[in-house]
Amino acid sequence: MEELGKIHQLIIPLFGHNMVFNLDAIVFTWTVMLLILLFGVLSARKRGMIPGSLQVLGELFVSKLYDLTEDALGREMAKKYAPLVCALFMFLVLCNWIGIIPHMEEPTKDLNTPLSLGVMGFFIAHFVGIKTKGFKAYISEYFEPFFIMMPLNLIGEVAKIVSISFRLFGNIMGGSIIILVVSYLTYSILLPPFLNAFFGLFVGAIQAFVFTMLTVVYISVQAK
Amino acid sequence: MEQDIQTWVKLAAYSGAGLSIGLGAIGAAIGEGYTAAQANSAVSRNPALAGDVFKSMLVGQAIAESASIFSLVVAMILLFSNIPATSFITVAAVFAAGLSMGFGAIGSGVGAGFPAGAACIGMVRQPAMSAKLTTNMLIGSAVCQTPSIFALVISFILIFSDFGSHPLWPTWGAMLGAGLAAGLSAIGSGIGGGVVAGASSEGIARQPTSVSSVTNIMLLGQAIAQTPAILGLLVAFILIFKEFGATDTIAPAIALLSSGLCMGIGGIGPGIGEGIASSGGVKWIARNEKEIGTLTRTMLVGMAVAESTAIYSMVISLVLIFVV
Amino acid sequence: MAIEGADLVKAAAFLGAGISMGLGAIGPGVGEGMAAAKACEAIGRNPKEAGLLTRTMLVGQAVSESTGIYSLVVSLLLLFVV
Repeated sequence: MEELGKIHQLIIPLFGHNMVFNLDAIVFTWTVMLLILLFGVLSARKRGMIPGSLQVLGELFVSKLYDLTEDALGREMAKKYAPLVCALFMFLVLCNWIGIIPHMEEPTKDLNTPLSLGVMGFFIAHFVGIKTKGFKAYISEYFEPFFIMMPLNLIGEVAKIVSISFRLFGNIMGGSIIILVVSYLTYSILLPPFLNAFFGLFVGAIQAFVFTMLTVVYISVQAK
Repeated sequence: MEQDIQTWVKLAAYSGAGLSIGLGAIGAAIGEGYTAAQANSAVSRNPALAGDVFKSMLVGQAIAESASIFSLVVAMILLFSNIPATSFITVAAVFAAGLSMGFGAIGSGVGAGFPAGAACIGMVRQPAMSAKLTTNMLIGSAVCQTPSIFALVISFILIFSDFGSHPLWPTWGAMLGAGLAAGLSAIGSGIGGGVVAGASSEGIARQPTSVSSVTNIMLLGQAIAQTPAILGLLVAFILIFKEFGATDTIAPAIALLSSGLCMGIGGIGPGIGEGIASSGGVKWIARNEKEIGTLTRTMLVGMAVAESTAIYSMVISLVLIFVV
Repeated sequence: MAIEGADLVKAAAFLGAGISMGLGAIGPGVGEGMAAAKACEAIGRNPKEAGLLTRTMLVGQAVSESTGIYSLVVSLLLLFVV
């Protein structure tokens, strides 16, 4: 079970300053970014009325996410924020899926990745809130329903960052721990591929979608 | 003596790991079972939609499971990592980490089953709405995982903090109290948030035109139903980070333990109650969308009153920490 | 550490205060929630009577909260009087 020990070295950097793990996360984040860029360039290179296979995939993807954003935010704001939503979802899905390739680690297994994305969503949502409602109305929302509720409302807002980022982190981390333990117990015969399919592909896609949708919902709550 | 502490810490870590995953498995199992039961009854109503219902059941169960996956993470850390043992406080902290995550996963697991089950039934009633129902279910059950995430945060802090210079009496009571406060108070909010999300999935299936307002009111209701868990988190933070002076009697330690217990147990009822109150509001906003203003007001007033007992508990636990 | 009788009594009183308020909060919390849910249902069915229904809901909740207040009183007694 030495590999499990390695995982714990990967967890402890949360509170210490072990750079080795962060280097892993950085390398694979850049890999994911390159993959997305490659996909974007390849799918948009030969645009035509009769689309190629990559263009179909790209169009399907963008139009679905665009519709979802429009449902939540309305036509006007969707134009502005749909690109962000598409990019966020693509990035997270690839981050969660990259772990099923041997010797590759999910960047989302490091708490810093989901946390920074959560902080980004938080700032965007509050920027939208101030912009649409005006600063006065935005501040006065913190004093509802009673004046004394202000600290609780404040904690509630900050808790959103914690919950959104720890949800993703915990699921991806837990999935990889389960895969490791089962691989050890079964000497890596037969079961691990199925577990990888479940925790890597299925749970990874669902959690990426949940993260993206919650960011959209937080923006839409602030905008109203 | 150094060896002795190490042995005790190991003992506490192993029993904490067992409690974490053992208690944590309760909720997810109930929630997933409920979802499967609802999915079966949905398929029996309209066997032609079996494929869609099966898909949404699996997605719902995958989310309901995440609370117990958090428990597994904590249990694995407790089992396999080398926790530096500097004082006997670590023994209490490690055990409390297991308790916190174990109790904390119960509510969210049970709660996440309700929206998934309601979405399965709703899909059969209103097949055209299945995409919107799935999105609503995903958001609802993801938000009702939040209390278990608070418990996860508290157990991480308990495992990884260093308590070297703190006096053993009464700090051990504070550590156990922090774990209990965060863990137990998450039960109510988890179940409550799930009840709200279930009502909203049901409401959307009944009245497809009300999607956007129902989803918004659901989020509002869930946010307020999470207040007891946030109060529990607050008490846990105070207990962990406040420095207590050394004492030579047992009463202060028991007072700190009891303050965590008070906030934890006291958060269960209001969390569930606020969820029920909000589910009534969400359900009838879906059926009678014209009255959304009156209904939202009534729902908020009802929830605020239901929360008062959680605030009494917090008052008692703050008195136990600061006054006594 | 020497544990004396008076100290033990004090500790038991603290523990009792916490448990009293904690358990006492469960019932009223759930009950008041049910009252509010039914009030929402009634207003949804008959919005004209919203004022009367809200008043009735608040009275009902106040009555069901009394047990929670008893727990609060008992735990304050345990904390400061015993």
